[in-house]
This record gives sequence, structure tokens and C-alpha cells, in this order.
Amino acid sequence: MPIKESTKLKRLIKAIWIFNWFNSCGFIELIPVVASRWDMERFGMIIVGSPRHADVLFIAGYQTLKSIKRARQVYEQMAAPRVVIALGSCTMTGGMYWDSYNTIKKLSDYIPVNMYIPGCPPRPEAVFEACAKIFQHVEEMD
Amino acid sequence: MAAKEALEILGKISSEFNFKGEVRRKGRIWLDTPTEGFVDFCRWLKEQGFEHLSAISAIDWPGEGMCELAYHLWSYLDKTLITLKVKIDRQNAVMKSVTEIWDGSAEAHEREIHELFGIKFEGNNNLTPLFLEDWEGLPPFRKDFNWREYVGEKYYDRDNERERVYYD
Repeated sequence: MPIKESTKLKRLIKAIWIFNWFNSCGFIELIPVVASRWDMERFGMIIVGSPRHADVLFIAGYQTLKSIKRARQVYEQMAAPRVVIALGSCTMTGGMYWDSYNTIKKLSDYIPVNMYIPGCPPRPEAVFEACAKIFQHVEEMD
Repeated sequence: MAAKEALEILGKISSEFNFKGEVRRKGRIWLDTPTEGFVDFCRWLKEQGFEHLSAISAIDWPGEGMCELAYHLWSYLDKTLITLKVKIDRQNAVMKSVTEIWDGSAEAHEREIHELFGIKFEGNNNLTPLFLEDWEGLPPFRKDFNWREYVGEKYYDRDNERERVYYD
């Protein structure tokens, strides 16, 4: 009998392995989340070096027409079940690059996104709240 | 070899070539150069100590039907920056490449200008786009490229109520 999706996800949220795909200022803004002050490791979240090991993909900042292709490749390398979290207003509407000829506007037109975190940049608290919401959602799944 | 002043360098150039130039300020020369014999002139300048190609910039002049290229060359010995200004036809924008003189650094600059201004460099055999993969249409840094219009067509939908603001 195949294992249910919810069972898989419940196992997964005990230790969340994250792969970061950051194009622009997004990386700088997420460093505090990784570093000692906000310290995401206390929730079992850790950065891994390969998308093949990752459960969650963090995408931050605007994606150019060139980088979105690479982002898709990264996404396709991840094993299911996988979660995509998009950070910052650039991933939602293009942000301040709304009239740029070379950046995509809405990330979910290209990659399935599970959650958007608004903000320019999002505060670390917002990132944790988003993760907590996903944890809660998984706990309540049948 | 003692370091030379900008005026001295300009004097030397005028004695060998018939170009119009001026000393803008200390250590800063502007020079109008023709396209004919440009590569040979660059080679001569490199022999004179201008060994560093800092940048190549392009300016689009649609009113004059011209594209202007500015080559910024630096001499470590004379501590002088010389800017070579070349005007080429805008419709048929072709320029001789200087990759045979400055190699890699020239290649990258020429690649970028080819991508953004659509100027072709003869002799540079790597003009593949750096950023604009699968780009169709006008080179985006040309002044007649209307990027708002382009973005409106490519990314937004005028009939979508939430995106209509982008057209106002």
C-alpha cells in the first residue's frame, strides 16, 4: 500500500532540509534567519548543499528570464514531497522591477509555489510564521 | 621611462595621427577617432603604455542616426585615462573588435554591448548573450526601445482589473 502524502509530510517536518535559490538581495535578508540571533536550526531547519537532498526550496528576490530556467531545474531535481516558499514582493508582482523587461513578474506562473511571504524584505519573524503555518497545516492533514 | 603629462601624450598623438582631442583635466584625455585604422591605433596606444582597457561604453544617438562607442584606456605609467570616442552608423552598427589586443576584457565588454545595443563586433567570435537568452525584438538599451510597452505586452493583461494600473 502506498504511503499517504500526509504521513510522508509529517515525517518530513521533523527535520526540514532547505535549499536556497537566491538571486538578489534575498540572500542578504535571509542570513539573520540562519545566523545565531534567529537561529532556524532550533526548529530543525537546516540548509543543505544540493536540491536533491532538500524538502523545501526557498526562492527569494526577482528572477530574471535566465535564472528562472535554472530555478526550474533546481525545482525539478528535488524529490517529492517538496515545498516551495517564495520570499519578498519581487516574487509576487515583480516588486520594484514591475516594468523591467528582463525579470519575471509572478513566480507561480513558472513554478508551483506553496506560500508567498510578502515584504521588502520579509522580516525573519515572517519567515518563521510562514514555516509555522506550514507545520500546522501538515499536522492537521488527514 | 618617465611618466608623461596628459598634454605631452596628446602632443605625441597629434604628431603621429591627425585626430582631434582635448585634455579635459589632469590625466584625462578625450579623443575623437575615426573607424578607419582604429585597431591599429589601439595597438599603437598599447605600445605607448595604455595597456589596460577599463571599459567600453556605448551611447545611442537616434537623432543623429549614430551609435557612439567610448573606449576607456588607462596607463599605469602615466596615470592617465584616455577616452577614444568613435561614431558608427546606427542602422548598420558594425565595429572592428579589439579582442586581438585586449583579449578577454575586450571580449566581455563587446559581448555586453552587442547584447544591449545590438552593435556587432567583427573579429569577436563569442558574442553570445550574457543575460538575455531567447531575446527577440529591439536591443533593450536602444533609445527607441519602449520598455513599458514591451512589458505591457509580454507580462501583463490589460483586461485584468488588477493589472490595468500598469498601463496608466
